Amino acid sequence: MKRKIEHPAPSARELAGPKYWRTLDELTETPGFKAKLEREFPDGASTLDGVDRRQFMKIMAASFALGGVGLAGCRRPEANILPFGKSVEGAIPGLPLYYATAMPLRRTALPLLAETHQGRPTKLEGNPGYAPLGGVSSLTAQASLLDLYDPDRATAHTADGARLDDAGVKDRLAAIGAKHAGNGGTGLAFLAETSSSPTRARLLGRLRARFPRATWTEYEPVSDEPALTASAAVLGGNFRPVYRFAKAKRIVSLDCDFLSAEAGSLYYAREFARGRRVASRDDGMNRLYAIESNLTLTGSMADHRLRLASGHLLAFASALAAQVTGDRSYTALADGLDVKPEWIAACAADLAANKGASLVIAGSHLPAEVHAIAHAINAALGNLGRTVEFIDAGPVAATSLTDLAAAIRAGSVQTLVILGGNPVYNAPADLDWASLQKSVGEVVRYSYYADETSALAGVQVAAAHYLESWGDGRTLDGTIVAIQPMIQPLFGGLTEIEVIARLAGETESDPYKLVYETIAGPAGADGAAVFRRFLHDGILANSAAAIVPVDFDSAGLARLIKGLAPVPAFSKANLEVRFVADHKVDDGRFANNGWLQECADPITKLAWDNAILISPRLAKEMGIDPKASALQIARKDEQTFEKGQEKAYMAVLTLGGRKITAPLHIQVGLSNYTIIVPLGYGRTMNGRICRDVGFDAYPLRTSGAMHFAGGGSLALTGERRTMADTQWHWSMEGRELVREANFSEYQENPGFTKEIGMESETPVYGPEGDAMTLAQRVSLEPRGNSLYQNPKYDGVHQWGMSIDLTTCIGCNACVVACQSENNIPIVGRDQVIRGRSMHWIRIDRYYSDGKIDAAAFGGEANQTLPEDPQISVQPIACMQCELAPCEMVCPVNATIHDEEGLNVMAYNRCVGTRYCANNCPYKVRRFNYFDWNLREIGSFYEGPVGPKGMPELVKMAKNPDVTVRMRGVMEKCTYCVQRIENGKIQWKVKMAQAGTPGEVVVPDGHIKTACQQVCPVEAIAFGNILDENSAVSRAKAQEKDYGLLAYLNTRPRTTYLGRLRNPNPAMPDYNEMPLSRIEHARKNEAQHAPKGQGENKG
Amino acid sequence: MSYLFPKSANRLPLQIVIYLFVLGGIATAGVTYYMTPKYTRVGYSPVQPVPFSHALHAGQLGIDCRYCHSNVENSPHSNSPTAQTCMNCHSQVKANSPLLAVVRHSYETGEPVPWVWIHQTPDYVYFNHAIHVNRGVSCVECHGRVDQMDVVTHAKPLSMGFCLDCHRDPASHLRPRSEVTNLAWQAPSPQAQAAMGRQFVHDWNVRPPQSCSGCHR
Repeated sequence: MKRKIEHPAPSARELAGPKYWRTLDELTETPGFKAKLEREFPDGASTLDGVDRRQFMKIMAASFALGGVGLAGCRRPEANILPFGKSVEGAIPGLPLYYATAMPLRRTALPLLAETHQGRPTKLEGNPGYAPLGGVSSLTAQASLLDLYDPDRATAHTADGARLDDAGVKDRLAAIGAKHAGNGGTGLAFLAETSSSPTRARLLGRLRARFPRATWTEYEPVSDEPALTASAAVLGGNFRPVYRFAKAKRIVSLDCDFLSAEAGSLYYAREFARGRRVASRDDGMNRLYAIESNLTLTGSMADHRLRLASGHLLAFASALAAQVTGDRSYTALADGLDVKPEWIAACAADLAANKGASLVIAGSHLPAEVHAIAHAINAALGNLGRTVEFIDAGPVAATSLTDLAAAIRAGSVQTLVILGGNPVYNAPADLDWASLQKSVGEVVRYSYYADETSALAGVQVAAAHYLESWGDGRTLDGTIVAIQPMIQPLFGGLTEIEVIARLAGETESDPYKLVYETIAGPAGADGAAVFRRFLHDGILANSAAAIVPVDFDSAGLARLIKGLAPVPAFSKANLEVRFVADHKVDDGRFANNGWLQECADPITKLAWDNAILISPRLAKEMGIDPKASALQIARKDEQTFEKGQEKAYMAVLTLGGRKITAPLHIQVGLSNYTIIVPLGYGRTMNGRICRDVGFDAYPLRTSGAMHFAGGGSLALTGERRTMADTQWHWSMEGRELVREANFSEYQENPGFTKEIGMESETPVYGPEGDAMTLAQRVSLEPRGNSLYQNPKYDGVHQWGMSIDLTTCIGCNACVVACQSENNIPIVGRDQVIRGRSMHWIRIDRYYSDGKIDAAAFGGEANQTLPEDPQISVQPIACMQCELAPCEMVCPVNATIHDEEGLNVMAYNRCVGTRYCANNCPYKVRRFNYFDWNLREIGSFYEGPVGPKGMPELVKMAKNPDVTVRMRGVMEKCTYCVQRIENGKIQWKVKMAQAGTPGEVVVPDGHIKTACQQVCPVEAIAFGNILDENSAVSRAKAQEKDYGLLAYLNTRPRTTYLGRLRNPNPAMPDYNEMPLSRIEHARKNEAQHAPKGQGENKG
Repeated sequence: MSYLFPKSANRLPLQIVIYLFVLGGIATAGVTYYMTPKYTRVGYSPVQPVPFSHALHAGQLGIDCRYCHSNVENSPHSNSPTAQTCMNCHSQVKANSPLLAVVRHSYETGEPVPWVWIHQTPDYVYFNHAIHVNRGVSCVECHGRVDQMDVVTHAKPLSMGFCLDCHRDPASHLRPRSEVTNLAWQAPSPQAQAAMGRQFVHDWNVRPPQSCSGCHR
């Protein structure tokens, strides 16, 4: 019988009831947001700016007439095939080659595999040969490819503005060395970034030998590793911790964003996920306590989260240490700590119950005392040597930037060589580095960009990208990894080791030979073979640093914390200002990278901007909190929105007499009087991406308070700024999107996700379908009740994906990996504001606080902004629905199914009606409103006569296996169809050549989508559902599997594994259910009440 | 007042309609014929920088296709030979021929020989040579009897319809893998071809894609 499935009409109670909310203004139901929800595309998205229809017709008529005269379209252009003169070993035209390399970043390097097409790197993946990372990679590693093809990079060596040729620059470097060689380096100073390169360390020894009186300074504006002073004081040596999260059942993070901001974050995230992943009710699950001032990715994963100013972390650590160790001497430091003692007591008890399997980690920005106390707690819990291990960091040989500044001020520096970095932009403000640098007689600057520092340097030496360089580096655990060039330096850039070798007057300055000597030298006669193996694997076998056994020295701790006093409470007049490295542009080094700028911050969801983050309470005290909705107190001013976007209040932030002006973004989950200031924006160098984006916070930072400082104050200027805030985009109204449960509930009822959704009332497959196996279900001919006829699902593979929401940390690596793989363009700030960003995968971030309910509507709960929300993230890409709503409305059959269950998009057939995007319930289709690939940002509106064409360099980043889409075409995720097809073909070819051409089913794991391959926590499973042993089938067979909006009968091929939280019942902030569930239960009380909790329907 | 229009004008509407139909028909027929690959592509035989004769090398001398197009079994792209490949023989044979000056120049300097591309598919079509030649589709199916051409000519339309003809009926076009580069090979009879083709389709699990994702990405 024909059955019509409709949404049950919402009850009045439901309409008024709580729902997921993603921004503060959504929660307060502002009219601007409501208006936006009602529109398919955000305001202004479908109108052409500055050109009216009449004018448009005129221009088009003129261009048609002109086009007709030349009849250019009637001739087929002649194309050539250009084979090599001599065959190149290993190069097969049409097939990519993969080489091992590594991306150096500060004191670690990330091993990678680079995919090259005819000598041009187009994609980076993690090197699977490096076991601790298992082939995953990070957001910045993915995006670093685009830096190689950045048209704004330094393209020439210059001296006083005049171009230097290759020989000229090398002579110049040698001359500097020769000049100072006579006096032992007096007056010579080097300023470099930190590095993990063994070759650089070796050359540094030679440099010191030649210039014993020269100074070598290393400076990094942000720290991603704890200072060594703590371990020197309490562990008796310069040791660097390596945490083993997979072994830790209980984790306490002391203001440490170990999932994204630490040097070892990628390793930590993967290990953390291993301890958190739950496939069946018998699996264990770790528990994370996060105490933090900012809302970080780590905090969003926490089972218990405590907001606390960074300045009070010492007090908290002391209080926790007092509980864990029972040592009363800590309590003095914890005086005045405004945290419930039960919270600390229960947390400490939980740690004590897991001795040797717990872990306390402190953020790198925290002072040595906190780290020392964290070591003390770990020592008391027996974690040292189990979950916390140490490697020897060696002696600290570099002087600090402050010392160098003093030397310059004293006039003892005549020649300053700046290797990388960007001190004019990011040195502490109290040093006034720009004028210091001007006062030095000769400044030689080696850098990738001609940036702020280069502008004040006499000689500029262009640097090579790491994908153009020979080099080496060390990973977190000390393993030596190879850096190999994929391409000749595009602009003749030099590598850092070559520059140092030339300055040091080495006879050998070829970077390849320098690295060869470092690696092969110690191996003696086997050197050549060792080096060849090293380049092939990308990793030097057995080169990891030895684990150092440590003993905790409590006397050292007592000396360290002696005389410290607790920090007084903060207030509106005495704000704590915390400087953080931006999630995307880091300390500013990636600021000119369009992929990163366009990618939204994982928490604030701001793109192309940074903002001072303030807590809701502070916003309220300043009188700028969003007012409650129409039904409550006052309507929010319509002027608050422009093109549907947040108009942020501008404010002046004063700290220690220094001022900056910046927009304020109200961010829930912050410590009340801590304001977060992201670094890395407001660049003034001449880059087409980074210029005039965001504000520069470095002018506030002083060498005494590099990470956080008290005494800040904010004053509104009265101005407003429209923010490119992507959380407004593609809103799905609050329903049971992320389905969550506590671990204890899951153990009783693993199928909890099936009981939350509306499809528990309207089973998608019906009673017959529920009895079928997964493989049978996906090959059903899905007619539903539709007249539309789908193709038969009779392929030998049926592709599907499963995303584990328990482990997904929302880091955005998949977003940029997808962008790189699929030639997704960037559209610029203005177009993001209009809602036209092109990402095929996005990460929705939801807040829920559990307090709002229907009865309280109009009451206090809805009028005040929550301060302690739980965060749920959900990656959304095309779901590849079996009954896809988009296909039914396409008038030209441009989007239809293939026989393997992919919802494919034929770009060359698309005429751009946008019906499909209109009909997509997930809002995952993206439309090319302009020729993003043909025009640069800023010239979209200039009509047919405007400047066209992208720099050749940018085109080189494109993946040749994917069509570059033009204006007027719809696009979306295809499960990386190019990888699927190539994988199938390669498998069939292999089987045919092996004599078994009948074997056409590709084994599980051979084909990986770009998002799956990059995922640091391995949350994405992809593969063939017909194979019941494939990873994706096993994931989908889990009871907590569910489909998003499955009650629409779309039969999505991408399904989710419900999110689990593991709170501690003994904690004062324990909730029976995740807060989103509490809201959901209340919303659906009327329908679900009779069934009761925990009832298992099987 | 006299009539403005003669009486014959009464037939004009009908005449206009008929005229439009005829004109439309001619236009449709013209476009169908003159603007499809069958007309625009077939017969395209540009002058190449080197007067290389496939008829001589592949036909008369019997050099296998894969001697020069060496990666066709592994790569999506069937490579044109490097000048070095030519010089394997021509350093001995006709070593001083002026016709080969371009090739020698390429070999010495590394500058490519600018061969004119004949069998060119649009950028949004991802044709893969390796999968076809490995699964019993002969070169001749798309390129014709290249072994009989002095100047390579575009022999088949290579339109989407042309591809689909074969993808819908693979049995009529498959041959033993050993005969793929033997352009002269033919099954003894159409019946034998059909029987053999069916067998291959079954044994090799041949399921040529007929949906967009097979070729468009």
